[in-house]
Amino acid sequence: MSRLLPVYAAAVYAFLYAPLAVLAVFSFNRSRFTVWEGFSLAWYRAAFANRQLVEGAWNSLIIGAAATIGATVIGSLAAYALWKRTSRFTVAALYLSLVTPEIVMGVSLLAFYQWIFRYLDIRLGMHSVILAHVTFCIAYVALVVFARLRTLDPSLEEAAMDLGATEWQAFYRVALPNLTPGIVAGALLAFATSFDDYVITSLVAGVDSETLPMVIYAMARRGVSPAVNAISTVIVLGLGVFILLAQRLQRT
Amino acid sequence: MGRLRTLFLAPAAAWMLALMAAPTAIVCAYSLLTRGTYGGLGAPWTLENYRRLADPLYLSLLAHSFYIAGAATLICLALGFPLALFISRAGPRKHLYLSLVILPFWTSFLVRTYAWMFLLRDTGLVNTVLQTAGLIREPLPLLYNDGAVILGLVYGYLPFMALPIFATLERLDPHVVEASADLGARPLATVMRVVLPLARPGIVAGAVLVFIPCLGAYLTPDLLGGGKSAMIGNLIQNQFTNARDWPFGSAVSLALMAIVMALLYAGLRREGEKLL
Amino acid sequence: MNRRAFLLGSSGLAACRRDRRPRLNVLNWSDYVADETIPDFVTEFGVRVRYATYESAEEMLAKVLSGNSGWDVVFPPNYFIQPMRENELLAPLDHALLPNLDHLEGEFRHPPWDPELSWSAPYMWGATGIAFNRSLQPAPDTWASLWAPRTAGRITMLDDPAEVIGASLKKLGLSVNATDARELDLARREALRQKPLVRAYLNAEVRDQLVAGDVLAAQLWATTAQQAIAGADDLAFVFPREGFPRYCDNAVILRESDRRDLAHSFLNYLLRPEVAAAVVTATQTATANAAAQHALDAEVRDNPALYPPPEILEKAEWFLPLPAGAQRLRDRIWTEIKAA
Repeated sequence: MSRLLPVYAAAVYAFLYAPLAVLAVFSFNRSRFTVWEGFSLAWYRAAFANRQLVEGAWNSLIIGAAATIGATVIGSLAAYALWKRTSRFTVAALYLSLVTPEIVMGVSLLAFYQWIFRYLDIRLGMHSVILAHVTFCIAYVALVVFARLRTLDPSLEEAAMDLGATEWQAFYRVALPNLTPGIVAGALLAFATSFDDYVITSLVAGVDSETLPMVIYAMARRGVSPAVNAISTVIVLGLGVFILLAQRLQRT
Repeated sequence: MGRLRTLFLAPAAAWMLALMAAPTAIVCAYSLLTRGTYGGLGAPWTLENYRRLADPLYLSLLAHSFYIAGAATLICLALGFPLALFISRAGPRKHLYLSLVILPFWTSFLVRTYAWMFLLRDTGLVNTVLQTAGLIREPLPLLYNDGAVILGLVYGYLPFMALPIFATLERLDPHVVEASADLGARPLATVMRVVLPLARPGIVAGAVLVFIPCLGAYLTPDLLGGGKSAMIGNLIQNQFTNARDWPFGSAVSLALMAIVMALLYAGLRREGEKLL
Repeated sequence: MNRRAFLLGSSGLAACRRDRRPRLNVLNWSDYVADETIPDFVTEFGVRVRYATYESAEEMLAKVLSGNSGWDVVFPPNYFIQPMRENELLAPLDHALLPNLDHLEGEFRHPPWDPELSWSAPYMWGATGIAFNRSLQPAPDTWASLWAPRTAGRITMLDDPAEVIGASLKKLGLSVNATDARELDLARREALRQKPLVRAYLNAEVRDQLVAGDVLAAQLWATTAQQAIAGADDLAFVFPREGFPRYCDNAVILRESDRRDLAHSFLNYLLRPEVAAAVVTATQTATANAAAQHALDAEVRDNPALYPPPEILEKAEWFLPLPAGAQRLRDRIWTEIKAA
């Protein structure tokens, strides 16, 4: 069993990385089609010369980071509160955000923004995208953190409070350290979802908030250019190195 | 007691009220309107959009969607549970392995899907390798069928299964597993009796996080299924784009949302589970 | 200070610190200008341009429907002009500011969707036909040939109800814009009969598989087909003999725009023959600009897939906006085809 498990896990990782290997290979292809014609760095040059692509990647990173922080804080706090005592309205609203099809959430948020923003005389932009992303990420974070909370023993906190800890101290000193894996898992899901969202974003984005998926979808309409493969490879390698470094720092 | 709870709950409650409940009310209103001549929204108020749902065609779409989403969820569980178990036991490297699960998803969905199309098509990598190895003569039909759709959904939602399970398994004390083994339990029995019950909240959360979005998927059936076996998500998507029939699209999605909500509440109650 | 004044004030402040040149916001189809089109306009007119793209006309419509989207110029297809007018989204065009409209080809000076060009300036047009592998002989030059058993499993149709139902209607000798329930039912049967022969319903994604040889024939837009043909010598494109649908994308100024003079300058700039010719060369589309055609390389101008000769072009039929009932019927048929 303990010998089989790593083999099985390695196979699952291979499944996850197979398409990435394909797009990394084709980012070096001379042809613009998925037929190998020879090695070339032309698509990397094209990717970095494409201002829209680079700007979209930045916008996506900013939106993803902001939405992840917002959703992780709000969602984790809500999960903890609901673990203490449930709230029918909040639970129902969180479920609602899970079951709403993307396009419906996008269309309804757009209608809502247009109605509110006309009063306030503001236009769609990065802010409207971030608000939308936080909305659909809260439930992911809350669900994952709540699943983690359910493995905790409530008597632990009670014991702390019996020993004189305040409510806040019980949360901060006892519950929070135990929640970290859940919060990390929730935040990773939130970032991945936000960074990759197209349907909702394309509806609520304004004049100055084109994201990477939007640029890529627009390019794909008339066939994906390998420049998109190139920028994807750069992002995965860049974030991969970042993760490795963070891991190193954590250990030292 | 309880002030902290109120304080913690308030942001989520307020946020969901403003940006989830209010927009949903707008969709409810849409579903009762009539499609204008050229796709706008207009009077009169009507229930006609809901009456159109009784068509057996739409029910068969729903049934097909349940089958696809159910299969994808089960396979995600079969792949995600052992993966989460492996990560939770990886000691100091567990956060690294966890990040590696999510890293592929920092590329665009469309780019990943195009890569799968290359892997699976007749002249694609898988068929070429099998043909060169002499294992097959004619290319296998890997692309543009239900299998390809399920594969695409499993690929897209595996982290949504693996991460919640990890979050619960991470608490698993290795000593408990060892103790179980010392007491003579076979490894599989240990997993079934000791590990699985602990992971249950994570499995429930993961299953919900995978099943629900799969049910409403529309791009994967379009691209990997070749648009040949539509799901309910395609019907909804089409109303808001090509058909420009927002009232009917709203009615279809509200009906779907009501069904899924009802199943969710009923299922959780029957299993004695809590998601939130 | 109330909130509104504060917001206005702060945005004014931001504008002072930043670039003060006027800015035009343009939302266009992807791949619909040449690399230098926008930068040249920026330099010549000393303005800024925010240029973004969309991938479906419905997506564009959803954005601008509110009337406070922030965009100035968009490019709707011909069958969107009337609906957009009725929703009061369009600003009237001032022909005094658009002298270059004279460069348009005859048929685009009085197009059926906007006979006086009061609201729209025709930009580029396109049509649907069949892209095929030359190894396929005789060439599939009719819609009916996409129903032939010889290519079973090796053809694709577009993932677009108007196109698939349109091809079935044309095969039956009917109009692509048919609204009659009986005619549409005949088309439904044809499309259902064809489905087992179809490998997939795909749009631009089919290009790779045409080039690789997985797919032998595909219903495709001429422009998309050109990009595949440029990558593979053994591919060709043909307009089916039964007739085929045609569409035209038009530059329009949104009613919400408060930079209409600048928007007019931009439209007039796009109508310059040399600018339009550069766009055609870069994107392999067909321009509505007659003067631009003379400025083109012979290779592009004489490409019959982009500029078919008159005897073929007269079989083309413009897509029209359809009434609600017909649209609903077609959508039901489309769902049935996709679910079968």
